[in-house]
Amino acid sequence: MQRNILMKLERVSKTYDMGEVKVEALKESSLDIYAGELLVILGPSGSGKSTLLNIMGGMDLPSSGEIFFGDENLSQASEEILTRYRRNQVGFVFQFYNLIQDLTARENVELAAHLVKNPLSIEGILREVGLAERIDHFPSQMSGGEQQRVSIARAVVKNPRLLLCDEPTGALDYQTGILILGLLRKINQDKGCTVVLITHNTAIGEMGDRVVRMRSGEIFSITENQNPLSPERIEW
Amino acid sequence: MGILGKKLWRHIRHNKGQFLAVAAVVMVGIIAYIAMSSSYYNLSQSQENFYRENNFADYYFQVVKAPQEVMKQVEILPGVKRVTGRIQRDLPIIKKSGERATARVVSYTLPMENELNNLSLVQGRMFADNQRGSDVEVLLDPKFASANNLVWGDRVTVVVEGKETFLNAVGSAISPEFIYTMKDSADMLPDPQKFGIFMLESRQAQQVLNMPDQINQVLIEFSSGADQTQIIAAVKDILKPYGLLASYPRKDQLSHAVLQAELDSLRSVTLFLPLIFLGIAAAIQFVILRRMVKAQRSQIGVMKAMGYDNYRIMVHYASYALAVSILGAVLGTFLGLILAGSISQMYAQFFNLPGGMQGYNMKAIFYGFILSLSVGVAAGLTASRSVARIHPAEAMRPEPPQNSGKSLLEKLPLLWKELNPGWKMTLRNIGRNRGRFMLTLMGVVFAVALLIIAFFTNDAVDYIMQRYFYVGQTYDLSIRFNSLIQEKELLDINRMDGVQKVEGFLELPVKIHYQGKTQDEVLLAYPSDLSMKTMESGTGQPIQVPPDGILINQRTAAKLGVKEGDEVELETLLPIGPVHRDTVKIMGETRQLIGGGSYINLQRANRILQERNLVSGAMLKVETGKVGFVESEINKMLGVSSVLSRQKELQNFQKNMASMTYSVSLMILFAVVLGFAIVYNSSVMNFAERQREIASLRVVGYSTQEVSSLLLKENLLQSLFGVLLGLPFGRLVAGAYVKSVSTDLYTLPVIIYPLTYLFSALGGIIFIMLAHRFAIKGIKDLDLVATLKNSD
Ligand SMILES: Nc1ncnc2c1ncn2[C@@H]1O[C@H](COP(=O)(O)OP(=O)(O)O)[C@@H](O)[C@H]1O
Ligand SMILES: [Mg+2]
Repeated sequence: MQRNILMKLERVSKTYDMGEVKVEALKESSLDIYAGELLVILGPSGSGKSTLLNIMGGMDLPSSGEIFFGDENLSQASEEILTRYRRNQVGFVFQFYNLIQDLTARENVELAAHLVKNPLSIEGILREVGLAERIDHFPSQMSGGEQQRVSIARAVVKNPRLLLCDEPTGALDYQTGILILGLLRKINQDKGCTVVLITHNTAIGEMGDRVVRMRSGEIFSITENQNPLSPERIEW
Repeated sequence: MGILGKKLWRHIRHNKGQFLAVAAVVMVGIIAYIAMSSSYYNLSQSQENFYRENNFADYYFQVVKAPQEVMKQVEILPGVKRVTGRIQRDLPIIKKSGERATARVVSYTLPMENELNNLSLVQGRMFADNQRGSDVEVLLDPKFASANNLVWGDRVTVVVEGKETFLNAVGSAISPEFIYTMKDSADMLPDPQKFGIFMLESRQAQQVLNMPDQINQVLIEFSSGADQTQIIAAVKDILKPYGLLASYPRKDQLSHAVLQAELDSLRSVTLFLPLIFLGIAAAIQFVILRRMVKAQRSQIGVMKAMGYDNYRIMVHYASYALAVSILGAVLGTFLGLILAGSISQMYAQFFNLPGGMQGYNMKAIFYGFILSLSVGVAAGLTASRSVARIHPAEAMRPEPPQNSGKSLLEKLPLLWKELNPGWKMTLRNIGRNRGRFMLTLMGVVFAVALLIIAFFTNDAVDYIMQRYFYVGQTYDLSIRFNSLIQEKELLDINRMDGVQKVEGFLELPVKIHYQGKTQDEVLLAYPSDLSMKTMESGTGQPIQVPPDGILINQRTAAKLGVKEGDEVELETLLPIGPVHRDTVKIMGETRQLIGGGSYINLQRANRILQERNLVSGAMLKVETGKVGFVESEINKMLGVSSVLSRQKELQNFQKNMASMTYSVSLMILFAVVLGFAIVYNSSVMNFAERQREIASLRVVGYSTQEVSSLLLKENLLQSLFGVLLGLPFGRLVAGAYVKSVSTDLYTLPVIIYPLTYLFSALGGIIFIMLAHRFAIKGIKDLDLVATLKNSD
């Protein structure tokens, strides 16, 4: 099967300089991300998953190594280029939703939609994530799962090529978590959007097209799932 | 409105108290700026126009008497643009009530357009050129006319050389030299009951005063670029044969000096006060925004992750400051204009100026907005600069504990161990928010200082009153005669029913020369057994008039650069008789809170005049209850030019000081707004930042009461410290304030009663408590579950 490479990481490292100590959060990791796949990154807490994801999303620059998005080299990109990259290509979903408390569901999504020329329909996307009823509610009036759905809608409305999710179910109960994962898979299939999903929960790995395993800042295995499980069949 | 605009608007709505409190500080700054700069502008415009349109003279020469023709010689001097010759003389007025007052009769030549210091009619009509009626027509200054309830057609009686003469009041008029009508600088305060300007047509004046074709004053205006010193010398030469009594430039002209002093002091506070307020407002905005950015760190991270750039996010936060500034500026401009109107009205009460002082000065409004907006935006952008430093990836991580360094006290383990956990929390929190602590401290210091300045003016005035009217002079009536009389003639007065004691005095106008410098001064000569008046030395101690030499007024001494022990030359300036010269020694300095003058022994003064026992007035001690009777008896005597009762002087003084209450109350209001806003803000911020901590305490079982007392402790600690610092700081600022508003004519002593410190401190504590109450209203309503759940 011929697969297009959307993003390429070559021997990427990240070292945090904490004065007395240097933390090597990521060590010479190389990884290709294919267009349209759902990639799950697995690893225990502190293994460097978020660091890797942040570098992919242009939130952070690697200390060394190369990173390409298509033909564009982002390894030394300026703040402006990174901002534009995040704006046009990337959608983020965070563990703690990070919605703006003073804005309603619709407005939180609108906040992102404003940034791009051809956003998806705000109402449409909120309906897709199942929040048609809650469109004018404030985050404080919603449950965690609902907030996370707003957060997904907010990430997707820009119609990004790459959707990066950092422990999206980390703060949710099992049932809700499954729902969210199903939603992500659906977005991946319907919109052809590449999804990278971080988790410390090994069970979730079963839904990925591929699974990357990390330990102490290193990628130690990349495996392909011939038959990824549909999220509703995952159990933990 | 964009989404970010909505976000801002909702934030403001949820934190209205804080928003309004800062806007109020901006508002006060702008009120002060608009009110003062508009008043300044209106007053100075009005002055400038009046001076220009009515040809206000540059220089004045006073002679005993000169033929009108001398004007021709002055006129042809190169560099002299205009000359006006006229008569000016003070005459006693006999009012209908029999009371005495003084008329300053000034003559005017018709047509007036090209004359210096010409008149603008206010009411009634101009005096006629050719008057046939029996009574001479006179124009009065408006303050005198209204204080004495005169209407046009009324007769006023003056005494000329012992004869009663009737004048027919036909209207009121004003002139640039009588904007502030005060008899002389020894008076300090205008008293329109006792003194008025009487304007007569010049031939009529010559006839009434029996000075045919003569003048006693020459006014000149210089052409631009003229050599003024040379012209002045030339005019002096021309006038010398006619007994040159005095010559002075415009800046020494009494009315001008007072008005100019008012303008100068207005200008010096026009920027000063608003800048304090705007500066503090900027500081509050800065602190609020910095805290907002910190609190919304993860929101900012998300926005950045989404692709918002620094610039847009910074503008978003700076817009908060912009909104504060706009609201403050709009309200401030509106209220400032109202205040400006009432200040101008107050000025109209003091000054005889042409109407139309109510102009809106667009420039001031424009500058007010610019000032407010630029201060706000500058504060906003500086504060939100920290947005750029927020790293999106890091912003998603829980915030590391700030400033983990130990506070100062923690380094003193012995002391630290003794503190209970509540205090430890308090001190740690202060240590963590040093910037805010300093700001609150500064705000409270300024607010308390403002309270002191507000109250202090009352103290100073009260002190002057006590000193001047109750200690300084204990007479009941003070009389002035038309001319110098023999002291033994006072016996007639002494024999009057009710008069207990009479002490004569002599007012002798002189020039004091010292090492090439000259000052005009009034020597007040008192007998050696003086009992009805007490003099004060420069340091406020009672001091006797020495048998020889003079006690010189502090301010005159400073101008001449003389000190105790120096010898000065005196030259008399009496309008009649020859000029006398004498040399006297300075025996000491005196301080006068009201008016001026230097002191000399009565006999010594007579020796200067080569006379014996002459007096020009007398002070009377009268039996209680008989003052009115004695006053009316004395009013019947023709040789008397004025009678002052101490009681009425006191009333006049109090009336003149009444306007001060107004500015004092304003100042208090400003201080309270400032203090309240600052303390409220820092309490609200403190509360917001520690919601989780507070919620945890509540969950553990602390009562609302206990939690709020914990917060109060923090508040009080910084606020009380501010109050303490504010007291001496207020004393300092009061001193600087007095210095900036002091003029040649008067100064306020920097007297602050202990009670004022107490009141200011109390005032400070009240606004602190009030602000605290408002700020912690939220503790009761704090949703424990939500607070502990929400991350931002
Ligand atoms: N900004 C930072 N400064 C210092 N150390 C960091 C920073 N971000 C991450 N680290 C460290 O890098 C390592 C990897 O962190 P992270 O990528 O967040 O792990 P994960 O997401 O897998 O839990 C950890 O040891 C963490 O403490
Ligand atoms: Mg992580």
